[in-house]
Amino acid sequence: MEMLKEIAEKVEAGRQNDVKALVESCIEKGVAVSDILNQGLVAGMNSIGVKFRENEVFVPEVLVAARAMKAGLEIIKPILLREKVQSKGTVVMGTVLGDLHDIGKNIVCYMLQGAGYDVVDIGIDAPADKFISAARESGARIIGLSSLLTTTMVYMKDVMDALREAGLGDEVKVMVGGAPVTQAFADDIGAHGYAPDAASAVDVVKRLLGN
Amino acid sequence: MNGKERILTALEIREPDRVPLYIHGINEAPIIGIGREITDGLPEPKEFREMNDAEKGKLLDTLFLIHEHFGIDGFTSFEIGHEREVDERHVADDWGVVYTRSPHGLPVATGHPVRKPDDLAGFRPPRPARAHLLLLDLARERFKGAKALFWLMRGVFVRSWRLLGMENLMVQMFDDPDFVHRVARMVTDYSLEQLDMLIDAGLDVLVVEDDIADKHAPLVSPVKYREFIKPYNMELVQRAHERGIKAVTHSDGNLWPLLDIILETGYDGLNPLEPQAGMELKKVKEYCGERLCLIGNIDCVDLLPNGTPEQVEEAVRRAIADAAAGGGYILCDSNSLHPGVDPLNCIAMFHAAVKYGAGRP
Repeated sequence: MEMLKEIAEKVEAGRQNDVKALVESCIEKGVAVSDILNQGLVAGMNSIGVKFRENEVFVPEVLVAARAMKAGLEIIKPILLREKVQSKGTVVMGTVLGDLHDIGKNIVCYMLQGAGYDVVDIGIDAPADKFISAARESGARIIGLSSLLTTTMVYMKDVMDALREAGLGDEVKVMVGGAPVTQAFADDIGAHGYAPDAASAVDVVKRLLGN
Repeated sequence: MNGKERILTALEIREPDRVPLYIHGINEAPIIGIGREITDGLPEPKEFREMNDAEKGKLLDTLFLIHEHFGIDGFTSFEIGHEREVDERHVADDWGVVYTRSPHGLPVATGHPVRKPDDLAGFRPPRPARAHLLLLDLARERFKGAKALFWLMRGVFVRSWRLLGMENLMVQMFDDPDFVHRVARMVTDYSLEQLDMLIDAGLDVLVVEDDIADKHAPLVSPVKYREFIKPYNMELVQRAHERGIKAVTHSDGNLWPLLDIILETGYDGLNPLEPQAGMELKKVKEYCGERLCLIGNIDCVDLLPNGTPEQVEEAVRRAIADAAAGGGYILCDSNSLHPGVDPLNCIAMFHAAVKYGAGRP
């Protein structure tokens, strides 16, 4: 449908007011909200994510696209809830204890939201118990750990251990990422997934959740 | 040649008597670790702010001594005295930016006083203070012209995002470009005034510190960089050149997509050329080594913390082979000598620089 394609294009261009108007217009015309979500908002974020990975667009373009996506999402969210449209899953995201950097983690959050996942963002400087309680409260099956510093990424192992001690080691998968993090490090600490960049994080979550 | 002549020759892409050696940044722990090999009476590693006056004096003297003992040709100074403690975990600078301390790294700007255009209307920027240049004064008195004096000055991107918040700055580039330009103008006016003060105080090399890339890519597009960053930092470069000093830039990360614009800006040198971010020394040398002095590339992420002195020596030998021909290379680590580096590897780097950098054909 042309209007859904246009929503995707406007998300990609970061035009939040246009996205709002188009989403409202689609709702008035009776377009299914799951189509607005998947063929409009998610499609737009997916496209910007691919371009981000290919260095065709950069962080500011992703930020305004995410803002536009969220503007559309706000409008359809009550309808999604009313119609009991299932989200693709919930992910708890946070920057680990001792680390105060958030932009990388935030971009992953936007990408996941833009791919149709619910995200519980517990912020920066997050201790293991905060990840665990957020996972319990939200029913998330994935936790995403972010770190910018070699000195703080070692704490990711502590979160893994704490999850096991809390009895969540089997049901909650852990994805790690951030500037100093590598696949080898992820393997070393027993993480289930490693995302080298924000767009890849969506692929990792899809794989871990089997969708 | 003395250290200053060596550095300035390399920055002019001419070949000095040996490859110059430089420390861009160094933390307390490696100063103490390296210093223990050449002096005694040093305290246990701790943060500068936790030291008493005698320990602070000893640390600074040791830093100078390291430069003298190992033949390091340039000394880096930076602003001090512009911050005040808010509470145990927070400090604020004279712009009103609040930083949160972490035991794991440098304080991170978390409180931003100019979030929107209205904030700017009532905002009074600070004026550069001569007293904040104390470290440069001490270095000048100590080295008496024998070493090149560098100064770390934040560029327009870093100063602006600290005032606005990084995500906010990036979004404002779309929503209100005029606001971003007005902030850029304000911080650049401050920087120009401080630069004049620094040159009057004997500065040799301005370092425009403007981290704007991660290991994959720049944070902003070349188009945005050209609009919001280049013109302002270029004013600093031009002022430096007009007044007879050199200007280099520092940014972590993969700068390849911005390299042409960095060249257009007129910098004399580029630091730190992170190997993990694709800034392969040989490739950068081939691309622009005739126009830009390359400063850095000895891996401080893995090699200096975890390698052996022999591996460090080999990395130095290779870096000199890759980049020193014809001049235009200053040996330096790939970011800073941070608390994780092995002091013995740092010493191996210094020795190898003198060993392989001297007597080149």
